[in-house]
Order: sequence, then structure tokens, then C-alpha cells
Amino acid sequence: MAPAVAVMTVALLYPIAYMVYASFLDWNPSQRIGEATFVGLRNYTSLWSDESFKESLQVTLKFAAFVVSLEMVIGVGLALLLDRNIRGMSVLRTIFILPMMIAPIVVGLIWRYMYHPTVGVFNKTLNSFGFESVPWLSDSFWSLTSIIIADIWQWTPFIFILSLAALQSLPKSALEAARIDGASGWQQIIHIKLPLMLPVLIVTCLLRLIDAFKVLEVVLVMTNGGPGLSTEILSLRIARTASEFRELGVAAAMSNYLLLVLMMLTIAMFVYTKISESRAEKLKRAVEEY
Amino acid sequence: MTLLKSIAGLSAGMLLASSAIAGPYDPYKGTTLVVNFPAHPHYDAVKRVLPEFTKETGIRVEVDQLQYLKMREKQTLELTKNKGDYDLLAYVVFSKADYVYADQLENLAKYFMNPKLADPNYDADDLIEGYVANIGVAGGKKGYMSGPTGSLFGVPFGSETSVLGYRKDIFEKHGLEVPETYDELLDLACKIPELEPGMGGLASRAASGHHASHAFLLHLAPLGGRIFDDEWNPTVNNAAGVKAAQALKTIVECGPEGSKTFGFAEAGASFLQGTSAMFLDSTVFAGSVNDPSKSKVVGKIGWAPHPMGVRKGSQTGGFGIAIPKNANNKEAAFLLMQWLTSKKADKLVALAGGNPSRYSTHADAEVNAKFPHMAVFGEALKDADPDWRPIIPVWGKINADLGTSLSKVLTEDLDIQIALDGVAERSKVIMEEAGYYTWQ
Repeated sequence: MAPAVAVMTVALLYPIAYMVYASFLDWNPSQRIGEATFVGLRNYTSLWSDESFKESLQVTLKFAAFVVSLEMVIGVGLALLLDRNIRGMSVLRTIFILPMMIAPIVVGLIWRYMYHPTVGVFNKTLNSFGFESVPWLSDSFWSLTSIIIADIWQWTPFIFILSLAALQSLPKSALEAARIDGASGWQQIIHIKLPLMLPVLIVTCLLRLIDAFKVLEVVLVMTNGGPGLSTEILSLRIARTASEFRELGVAAAMSNYLLLVLMMLTIAMFVYTKISESRAEKLKRAVEEY
Repeated sequence: MTLLKSIAGLSAGMLLASSAIAGPYDPYKGTTLVVNFPAHPHYDAVKRVLPEFTKETGIRVEVDQLQYLKMREKQTLELTKNKGDYDLLAYVVFSKADYVYADQLENLAKYFMNPKLADPNYDADDLIEGYVANIGVAGGKKGYMSGPTGSLFGVPFGSETSVLGYRKDIFEKHGLEVPETYDELLDLACKIPELEPGMGGLASRAASGHHASHAFLLHLAPLGGRIFDDEWNPTVNNAAGVKAAQALKTIVECGPEGSKTFGFAEAGASFLQGTSAMFLDSTVFAGSVNDPSKSKVVGKIGWAPHPMGVRKGSQTGGFGIAIPKNANNKEAAFLLMQWLTSKKADKLVALAGGNPSRYSTHADAEVNAKFPHMAVFGEALKDADPDWRPIIPVWGKINADLGTSLSKVLTEDLDIQIALDGVAERSKVIMEEAGYYTWQ
């Protein structure tokens, strides 16, 4: 027990403690950490008067909210549609999860070329049908939309795969009973499938949410945060603060804010699993007693 | 015994004789230097020339090449170590502020004073003055330029200025004059799309951040503006600043399709693909216009100096080379630095496709025969402005803010005055925090 605790403390907590300590320093990368001056909570408080940080936080929240909700709807929807025995299903499933397996930098590059104003496939297609070109990456509304679309393309399969697994492990008896009672397709989905899938869906959703808050490479390659600050998500802001502005303390403070948000989500996930477990336990006991 | 003595005497005599005629490089023969260079056309050319150095001196050179934007991070780590891995490094000009301020680069005075190391035929007067002031010297005027209190920490190597590239065929076809002033330039930039439908006037970078800021600064100096006045008060939002931003906006609006998000590479590609008629940016680009594998406009490009506004002022930038304080072989590194920036090697590098840092190389007949644009570049260099952007440690932050604000001007139609007022206001806070107003 003791060695395990020691290893955990050193390997897990030391880097986090280091980051927390760094967030109280005015530290630039040309200094060793010992040479940096201690500034208390200044890095944390000054961020709230930093318009760019606030804008970046807003962008992150907007991005995470949109991608996760759209991905959930599309992913679960696809799973419900494809939960049947079609020939070639396994091939189809493999193809579906391909986007997830591509390196993020490559995803960014692919989409950047597809969004290219003149030679990109989207504008070329639009033009050939006689429509105007869309400023995919050069307009603040469209560029955020563009990165949301790319993220949905990449990560919907994740939700699809998990929902499909959940669907296929649903108790057949409940569905059969419903069918015999004459429930329509929609009724089965709304009253039986979705409620039974809910525990998996919530965990999936939280995992995606945590991931969406940390997305970096795809945005970095596609827009590098622009135009203006319209796609400068928090992780990009942190990276720039550390390397471009050379303010390691401020970057650490930002990371800690992000960590807090993610921690709250994780705790929410933990609490939810605990509650549902205890509820299942209670139900089981009730059944046994009965 | 006598035989032994005489042999000893003879060999001692030979030893003396050989040390008397020893060359400056002999003590360092067999040394291996580790140098950090960017992946950049100039340094690719340098790599082709380096074997010549090893042949001449017996000093071996190991090159660690990095993407140039990644160098600062790696070097910052290297320079804070007790014993560094690099004996010589090429640095991006704005790193000078960080490295010199953190006392991480060797002051070159003691090397140039050392008669065993300094080559009397080095001819430092031949080094392009603006580059030396911008890249090599620190501690003079405003802290980052040359002046009575300045001293040398690096030597420009792979330096760049801005020039105007234009399509000779298009200009001839419509009887256009090569612009010499900003009014002519802006006028022409918007006239070309009318004359040649589908073609942009001038390909400029404009992407949010560093690119937009760089493009703006290119116009700011010739139009008479500066980021700060001599007391470090932001002046970026004065009339000249507004005019520069207006110029950038005009250029981007009359530019090729999609130019609002162009970085340096995209702007260059547009010019090489023949979708814009002019290009105003770094000289480093000139090497690729006549390369048929990259360019569709081989043989159609002419070069002219950066047009003037109220004054002439092209950019100064690129790289310098310096010896880290924690280097292992400083003297040998100095010899390499001196050799690379000598007249002979500057010419060799230029012939291999690099950017020379000496006036004499720009005027050299052999170099001009191979690269006819070199004479124009040499002319442009005389107006290179070492103060076109401030090289201070907080510049990274101000530069980013300027770049995103200008991007908003270009893509969201934010009012120029409001945008620049915002930059000035925020810069003031950054400068205040950094202590620039302590004496006011």
C-alpha cells in the first residue's frame, strides 16, 4: 500500500502541485523557477480584467456546448438507426469510426483545405451550383461554425460507438414485451431504449465535454484562433500565453481555472454514477425482499 | 647521448617552428561544434557551404535544425541550463530582447579584441548597418538598438528586408508604372483587379495574430508611424497608424480571394500561382519565384524597393548568430561565426541561395549574374529601418493584441480608430506593468 501511495503522490500530484505553485509566480521561461518572483493571487485576479481571456472563455463554452449537444443528437440518432442486422454492418461501423483515429493535426489540415476559399471543395461545390462562396475561415461567425463542423465530424463516431454498444446490451426482454404490447418504434425509443441507455449516455456526454474543453490541435491548424479572437479556445490561449507572451505564471493560472471546470464536471460524473449505483442497489434489494 | 640531445633539440625546434607558423584555427582542430539553425532557405544554403569550413579549419560542425517558430522555446530551455548543448545558435530577431536581458549571450567584444581570434580582414563596415543595429546590437538607443551605450551580442546572418515583387508581364500589358510611393501602390492594388478580372492586386498576409501585425508594421514605418514614441507612450493610434491600417485594409480588400486569412505561406503561394500581381514582403521569398516546381510565374517577376510614404523604411528581420553564455567551445564558435559572416562565406552562401548580409556581396558581379535581383535588394537595404518594430521583452504580447485587433478590422469591420485606441490603451497597461514608466 505504502509504495503505491508514494508513487501516486510523486507521479500524479507533484506535477499538479508544481503547476499550482507556478501560478503564483511572475515567471518567464528565461528564468529558472527559483528566480521568479512570488506575486500571490495576482495572476488569477488579473485574468478577470483581461478581455481576451474572457472572450476566449466564452468561445470555449460556446464551442463545447454546441459540439457536445450536436454530437450527442447525431451520434445517438445514428446508433438508433443502425442498431439492426444489415449485411456489411461491421464494415460500415469500422468506416464510421475512422475519423476518430486520424491524428488531430491531419484532421485540421484536411478541413483547412476543404474550407479553402478558392480551391476548397465546399466553395467549389457551392459555386458550381451557382451559389456565392462562403467565408468559411475568414468570418468570425463562419469560422466558429467551421471548427464546430470539423469537431462534429471527428467525434460523433465516438458517441455513436458507445451508444451502439449500449443499445445492443439492452435487455431483449423489455423490448420484446413492449413490442408485444404494441409500442410503436418511437414509443420504444422514447420510453424504453433511451431511459435504459441513460447511464451510458451521461458518462459519454461528460467524457466528450471534458475533451471539448481541451481541444487544441484542430483549431490551431485550421484558424490559429482567428479571425480576431473568434476561435481562440482556452487551450490555445494557454499555449500562446506560455510560448508567445512568455508568461508561464499566467498560463498556469489559466490552466488551473480550466482544471477547476473539468474537475467540477468529473465530480458531477462521479456523483451521478454513485447515485445511480445506489439506486440500482436499492431496487435490487427491494426486489430480493419482495 | 649527444644524438638523443640533438634529436630532442631538433624536435623542440620543429615544434617551435610549427607553432610560429600555426594558423588561427590550429588550436581548435578536431573540435566538434554543435549549432542550432532554423529550417530556412538561408540555412539550407549554409549547410551546403559548411563542409568548406571544415576543410579549411579542421573544425567539425554538427547542425541541429528546427522550425524557426519552435526555436525560441527550445533555445530558452537550452540557455537556462548550466552547460548548454549549443556552441552557436541562430536566433529570431525578437529573441534578442529575451536572451540579452536574461544575460544568456556572450558579449562579442572580448572576441573581437583577441588578436588570436579576430581576423583583421573581417571588414565589419561592410556588414549591412541596419541589420547590425537591429539584430546584433543591444543596450544602445531605446535599449534594443545601436548607440553610444550599445554593444554587440550577435552578427546578422540570414537577415531579410522587404521588397516589392511585381508581375512584369501584367504591368507591361496594361502599361502600368512600378509604384514608388504608397499612393501609387494603393491605387494600383485596387486597379489591377479591374484590369485583370480574377486577379488580386497585392498578396499580403492578414491572418489573425502575428501575420496581420507584421503586414501592418510593414506599412507603418514608411507612412511615418511608430508603435511607441521615445518615452514609450503608445503612438500606434495616431494619424500615421490609422493610415497604415487603412492601407492594409485596402490591400486586403483588393487582394486575391481569401486573403483575409492569408499567412506568409498563403500570400506567397497566391503570388507564385499567378493569382495576384504584386507581393510586398520579405526578400527570403525571392529564391522560390524562379523555381518551376513551386512557381507558375517563372521569369515574369520584377523586383523594386519597398515604396515610400513620408519616408523610406523597409523591414529588418530574419536571423542573427550568437554564442550562448553556457556554450562549451566558445572560441571555436566565434571562429565559425566570423568565418560564416566573412566576405568569402557570405558570397558562398549567397551563391548557394542564401540571403547575404554584406553590401559587397549584394554588389558582387558573380552573385548578380546568378541572381539579378540582388542589386535591387542591395539598394533596398540602404533604407532598411532597424526601428520598424520594438524589440522589447513584452513585444510578444503587444504584437498578438495588435494582430488580433487588426484581424477584427479586416474581418468584422471594426472601426480602425477604435481598434488602434484599444491596442494603445492595453499596451500602456502592459508597459506600465513592465516598468517602462518608472522614470516618468
